[in-house]
Amino acid sequence: MGSALAFKGIENTMVLYHGSQGCSTYMRLHLAHHFREPVDIASSSLSEKGAVYGGRENLKKGLRNVINRYNPKVIGVATTCLAETIGDDVPAIIREFKEEEGIGDDPEKDIIIISVSTPSYGESHVSGYIKALEAVVRKFAENQGEERAIKIPNGKLNLIPVESLSPADVREIKEILEATAGNFIFLPDISETFDAPLRDDLPKIAPGGTSISEIADMPNSRASLGLGIVSKNLALEYLEGYYGVPGHSVPIPIGLSNTDNFFTELVNIFGCPIPDKYQAERGRLLDAMVDVHKYLYGVKAAVYGDPDLVFSLTTFMLELGMHPVLVATGSKSRDFGMKIRQIFKEIRPELEPVVLDGIDFDSLNDAVSDCNPDILIGNSNGRYIAKARDIPLVRVGLPIHDRVGAQRILTVGYKGSLELLDRITNTILEATDTFTAPVQAEPAAYASQGTEEECME
Amino acid sequence: MKEKAGIVDTLEERQPYITRKQEKGQTIPLACDNNSLAGAISQRACVYSGARVVLNPVTDAVHLVHGPIGCAGYTWDIRGAKSSGIETNRSSFSTDMKEIDVIFGGEKKLSNAIDELVGLYHPPVIFVYSTCIVGIIGDDLEAICNTASQNHNIPVLPVKSEGFKGNKSDGYKAACDALKKLIKIPPKEVAGEKKPEVSPEVRNPKINILGDFNVAGDVWLIKPLFEQMGTEVIVSMTGDSTAKSISRAAEADLNLVQCSGSMTYLAKWMQKEYGIPYLSASFFGIEDISLALRKTAEYFGSEEMKKKAEEILETGTNRIMPEISRVRERVKGKRAAIYMGGPAKALTLIKGFAELGMEVVIIGTQTGQKEDYEQISYSVRNGTVIVDDANPLELAELLVKQKADLMVAGVKERFIAYKLGIAFCDFNHDRVVEFEGFDGFVNFAREVDASINSPVWKAVRQRTLKPEAMELKRAAVKERISGEPHAKEYKDMEDMAVEPEFLHPKLDAAAENQVLERPQDDEMELCNRKPLYHVPAYGKRPCFQGY
Repeated sequence: MGSALAFKGIENTMVLYHGSQGCSTYMRLHLAHHFREPVDIASSSLSEKGAVYGGRENLKKGLRNVINRYNPKVIGVATTCLAETIGDDVPAIIREFKEEEGIGDDPEKDIIIISVSTPSYGESHVSGYIKALEAVVRKFAENQGEERAIKIPNGKLNLIPVESLSPADVREIKEILEATAGNFIFLPDISETFDAPLRDDLPKIAPGGTSISEIADMPNSRASLGLGIVSKNLALEYLEGYYGVPGHSVPIPIGLSNTDNFFTELVNIFGCPIPDKYQAERGRLLDAMVDVHKYLYGVKAAVYGDPDLVFSLTTFMLELGMHPVLVATGSKSRDFGMKIRQIFKEIRPELEPVVLDGIDFDSLNDAVSDCNPDILIGNSNGRYIAKARDIPLVRVGLPIHDRVGAQRILTVGYKGSLELLDRITNTILEATDTFTAPVQAEPAAYASQGTEEECME
Repeated sequence: MKEKAGIVDTLEERQPYITRKQEKGQTIPLACDNNSLAGAISQRACVYSGARVVLNPVTDAVHLVHGPIGCAGYTWDIRGAKSSGIETNRSSFSTDMKEIDVIFGGEKKLSNAIDELVGLYHPPVIFVYSTCIVGIIGDDLEAICNTASQNHNIPVLPVKSEGFKGNKSDGYKAACDALKKLIKIPPKEVAGEKKPEVSPEVRNPKINILGDFNVAGDVWLIKPLFEQMGTEVIVSMTGDSTAKSISRAAEADLNLVQCSGSMTYLAKWMQKEYGIPYLSASFFGIEDISLALRKTAEYFGSEEMKKKAEEILETGTNRIMPEISRVRERVKGKRAAIYMGGPAKALTLIKGFAELGMEVVIIGTQTGQKEDYEQISYSVRNGTVIVDDANPLELAELLVKQKADLMVAGVKERFIAYKLGIAFCDFNHDRVVEFEGFDGFVNFAREVDASINSPVWKAVRQRTLKPEAMELKRAAVKERISGEPHAKEYKDMEDMAVEPEFLHPKLDAAAENQVLERPQDDEMELCNRKPLYHVPAYGKRPCFQGY
């Protein structure tokens, strides 16, 4: 699924899962619920025959049909458990397919087919996302062939997150970059593709996304800025290792210090001043933090979700005086616990959180029982835990399928942090509000009194 | 440039209202008890508001505001006074006077409103508040209320609270005047001499608690203490009171007055009229709770009651002491600013802060009298600024100059503190947690802790993002975590980066020194002050430690 999130942020791209039909259907369902957009993902629809004799023909047929029906510029081919296990050599099949169809390697006129190995038993959707981005960057860089040696500096900044941000988040970061840095390449840009306006027609592939020429231009950039510090940013490392594009990583800019870091990094790279608009937004965030500090102080929270999102949320909560008692992620990550403990040490060394990685919701449920938080912060999958324990849940991350507006949830930048702060505070206020409707005397009592009086008269 | 004369830069006419703590025996050169200066942005409200806050907690009364809609609308359900039963008081009734009523008089509209409300709610009492405009156009409130009382056979009481008629204290008086009419002459067998010296063994003595408005349920934490002591609490005025319980008030043997500003007037009247003596008391903070219980037991002269009081105090104190000590460790030495409506609360807060190991650097009230300020002056340390009827600009400057860490006041003051990066605790009517009694004091301590020790204050010290400072800070944090060799450097850097620019008012060095001056004598005096009450053997005394 991670790979689909990455591919869908590239202009005119289709995704094909090499595997059985269900893999694409369930992923489509999951993403459609979350973004409330059509999510077309093709499948090579492997059947028993394919599973036994190999999926070569199915994959080729699938690719052919996708090209015929959707006419994409790029096709991302992601493998599933089945395809990986039966041992299909996907790159070889694609090479064969291209030869058969006469597809060359010219990014100008040919269809680019990018394959990435993403079996579910490998890792989580986070690694699928990271791997797909790396595959994309690598493919376009390699396609330039001989020109690779000659770098034409474009003065741009590559921006590559390690986890899928919401369309609103992507828009906010792009706006910040426009105001400060000017030239940048954001990969992958899902701000339009997963949050498309209603149009007269239904385009086969949602417009928007990072353009192919931009991706091809990434090796020429002056620097790359990675968002997220827990997971490895493979695309960024590739660009640095092969093309000498200096790479810096900052936490996803949620909360005061993380956003400060983000802006500081921009200033360092571009030597630009911080626009007044953002200083004012920062001031407003500070003002709000002061206004609500007593509502949040010592509120015990359990945070869960993708590692870097959780890292940034935890930082923010510590800055607010909240007490994150449980910090958890479903991804297996060695660095997660280390980074989380480090941030506790920096901000509130006296607190001792429970930090878990690679857990499921049952273990999360047990951990929540042990830690006894006042509030849950994470995706919709925690709603059973929240309901069972009768504590509120603030929805952040992916998936959020039981509420509307997931694509518009803004959490990054000073503005997004402020919105998140308001949401968390209001959720707590809603849960702790002591307001009760006034108790009035029974109307029946009046009625009887009235008749009595009448009788007396 | 104009030369600065006073403690803060303010209007010349306001200077006499701000002073510092005086030496013992000296009269305090502080002007007070006057009408607010036009244009000075007083934090006070009007006569009507004074009456409204005092009377509104009467739960089963219909509170009808005769005036334009604003007077009722802005005071609708603003006081967190809780009720244990009916909550008619939480609706805000208004005659909604329009231009035409102002021209032709609102009397008819008022009597119609009363009739309608009686039909709808059958209240045991209706309070009719007059507002500015009613006073000006001269509606005869008294006559209408009299007629209505006769027609409906319930008390319909005018509250003469025309906004312009004085200040908030006059509103308290207007409210007390209305309450007076509700208090019935007690039946013969209960009435008579109330002097305990005559009959020391008063069986089941009865008391009233005056000036507790049951904000957030305060009274519910206090009443049981007195009941355990063997006294019957007839009514607390006006928190969680009803027309019926108020009417029985004259059966009491003793009145305990907490909010002296609003209720001393009523207590004096009850003493004169029914021979009921009164004691001033406060139920906030361990010292004052102890004082209140002991004084009451002392008054009734019953040994059993005295024993009971000690038991209650011991259990209560032992129960909350661990938590109070914990908070005390976290907040001691911090500097508090107090700005309250009435002086009673301000005085009791001084003790409360002492119990938490904090010191008071600014203290002010909206409605204090000369004697109140003298008492306040005696209770605080040297250098403390005392202010009457302060305005936002003065408060802001004082908070900065006196280097306050926390302010205790109401909503209007809250955001002054916040903008200056100073912690805040609401001790006014829209708080939602109890502050009185043993558990209330724990709530208060926790709130003070939460506000002072929130990490947001560290964040707001740097108001604009300076990337260079960020870099330094990050390097320093790294250093700190990897080991402590550059701890000092980090500290220097933090000072450099985080000192808020605007918090350096152009103070001359002398003024600054004056502010920081903390003479030792006086502190010693406070420390050695003879305890007002016997210290039981449990744990450490909270309030005199650490001086």
